[in-house]
Amino acid sequence: MKQNRLWAWLIVALSAIYFFIPLLATFIFSLRMRRGELSFDAYASVFSDPRFFASFGYSLAIGAFTIILGILVVVPAVYYVRLRMPWLRPFMEFVTLLPLVIPALVLVYGYIRLYNSSSLIPFTGSVLGTDILLVCACMTLALPYMYRAVDTGMRTIDIATLTEAAQILGASQWTIISRIVFPNILVAVLSGAFLTLAIVIGEFTIASLLNRPAFGPYLVNIGTNRAYEPSALAIISLLVTWGAMGMIQLLTRFAPKTARKD
Amino acid sequence: MAEEFLRIEKLVKAFGANQVVKGVDLAFNRGEFISLLGPSGCGKTTILRMIAGFERPTSGAIFVEGRDITALAPNRRNVGMVFQAYALFPNMNVFDNVAFGLKVAGTPKAESAARVDEMLKLVGLSGLEKRFPFEMSGGQQQRVALARALAPSPRMLLLDEPLSALDAKIRVSLREQIREIQRNLGITTIFVTHDQEEALSISDRIVVMNAGRTDQVGTPSEIYNRPATRFVASFVGTLNMIDAVVADPAANTVRVGDQVIVLREAIAGRRGGEKISLALRPEAGSLAGAGDTALRGEVISSSFLGSVVRTKIAIGENAVSFDTFNAPDLRLPAPGEIIDLHFSAGDLLLVRD
Repeated sequence: MKQNRLWAWLIVALSAIYFFIPLLATFIFSLRMRRGELSFDAYASVFSDPRFFASFGYSLAIGAFTIILGILVVVPAVYYVRLRMPWLRPFMEFVTLLPLVIPALVLVYGYIRLYNSSSLIPFTGSVLGTDILLVCACMTLALPYMYRAVDTGMRTIDIATLTEAAQILGASQWTIISRIVFPNILVAVLSGAFLTLAIVIGEFTIASLLNRPAFGPYLVNIGTNRAYEPSALAIISLLVTWGAMGMIQLLTRFAPKTARKD
Repeated sequence: MAEEFLRIEKLVKAFGANQVVKGVDLAFNRGEFISLLGPSGCGKTTILRMIAGFERPTSGAIFVEGRDITALAPNRRNVGMVFQAYALFPNMNVFDNVAFGLKVAGTPKAESAARVDEMLKLVGLSGLEKRFPFEMSGGQQQRVALARALAPSPRMLLLDEPLSALDAKIRVSLREQIREIQRNLGITTIFVTHDQEEALSISDRIVVMNAGRTDQVGTPSEIYNRPATRFVASFVGTLNMIDAVVADPAANTVRVGDQVIVLREAIAGRRGGEKISLALRPEAGSLAGAGDTALRGEVISSSFLGSVVRTKIAIGENAVSFDTFNAPDLRLPAPGEIIDLHFSAGDLLLVRD
């Protein structure tokens, strides 16, 4: 028994070392901008660059719209498929997996071909149109994660009976989705939302080919031209991701409880 | 004369090729407590769900107070429903759960709060407004579900096996509470159950269902004492089914094995030699010689059940059980012993197959 525990701890320690040493090395390297001493100069350099805030802010905004679009598309879709068309689930599983097997490059070339300025729907003909296209593309990229998060959330509650209970009390479909379904899968939706945000913040291919000033192209650009700033940016990106994960944990506390406390 | 409240006409429901409700006609009066009783898959829940509006009938119609509601959406039927799985909204506390229907209907806050208070008092859960469903027992959750269903003052209450998930003691107390509340409010209630004891104990009338059809509609006493079919006789209570053949229609006699007895119930219209089913309640028979009819049989077993002794005897091809009250000097018949089972001819019921 004691030996088993020792092995468990050893495996945990080795995994932690494997995970943290590269991070630590990146962090230390990011502090070495000033010759001979450790400093936050690389971070100061990053934060003094207006393009950092512009690209990060842009990606955050795209992320927010992607999340909203994702929720508006995925939540009702999963709800109706679970409730009325359960035979469609294998098809949904397949479709939502497609973004994982179709490279983003193929996706964006398809978009550009379909929605270029001389097409019937000339999304790329304007800045707003291109931004909309980017949001749609990001939503597609995040679809496997958002779909699975929402689907898992709905599996934990008896969605059919809750819907009927609300219906018989006079609730409309909108009331049911907004007041019953959504609050009960909020944590799952937020998990999907933060995963979506992480994907959008790091997205390079589509934003670059659509020529949008997103954080991904900025990171690549800095990475090819600077030495210490990319490490600082990597650490900042990690902190943002961890912050997002922390938010999920925090929000879980406010989630509706469906099980008995024992 | 009782006022008709709900009428179901030639109701049929098919799921693909599987017809689960096969042309059911029913009429319920205002304020009645009706139980739809039957085994799993007999169509009782499907009928309830069609009344609620969750299932659209394949054909037929449902009328409430003379108005055809067959195609009406569930949220416009003004019906309360309690589900087997409680179906409380997990994200809402007791107060919000009970107030949900009132909120949806746009009831002013103060009025809604007073109504919630009244409903929680009715089900004996005052003071638990802030609790969440996960903090309550099954019985408490089901009482919240009942309060929630009654809060918007529905014109009819539907109960879909609401006691099935609860333990035996709670089931008995909650069914009594449901019946008391129903009586006080005078609300027409349809209760779906597969438990005959539950149906017999709380209903004004029982609809016994079998394979998508109604076998019998009657008061608990009628259903128990005068089962119309072999299915009702076997499903409700523990009636003995005895296979017999008509001996002489003119003399109203039947043959059980090689013994001929006279029936009190008329067997007019049946030919000699025709097979018929008879039912006999276990408590109707005795060894003491009481009653005007007797059947001789061989004892298969005798079991001591505390207050009663249950004896099983073979009469022809039939195994018949009968109960006698326990007494200190009672001698249990031994297996293999030949005995006479005495009963009144009036206790032998002729049932349809």
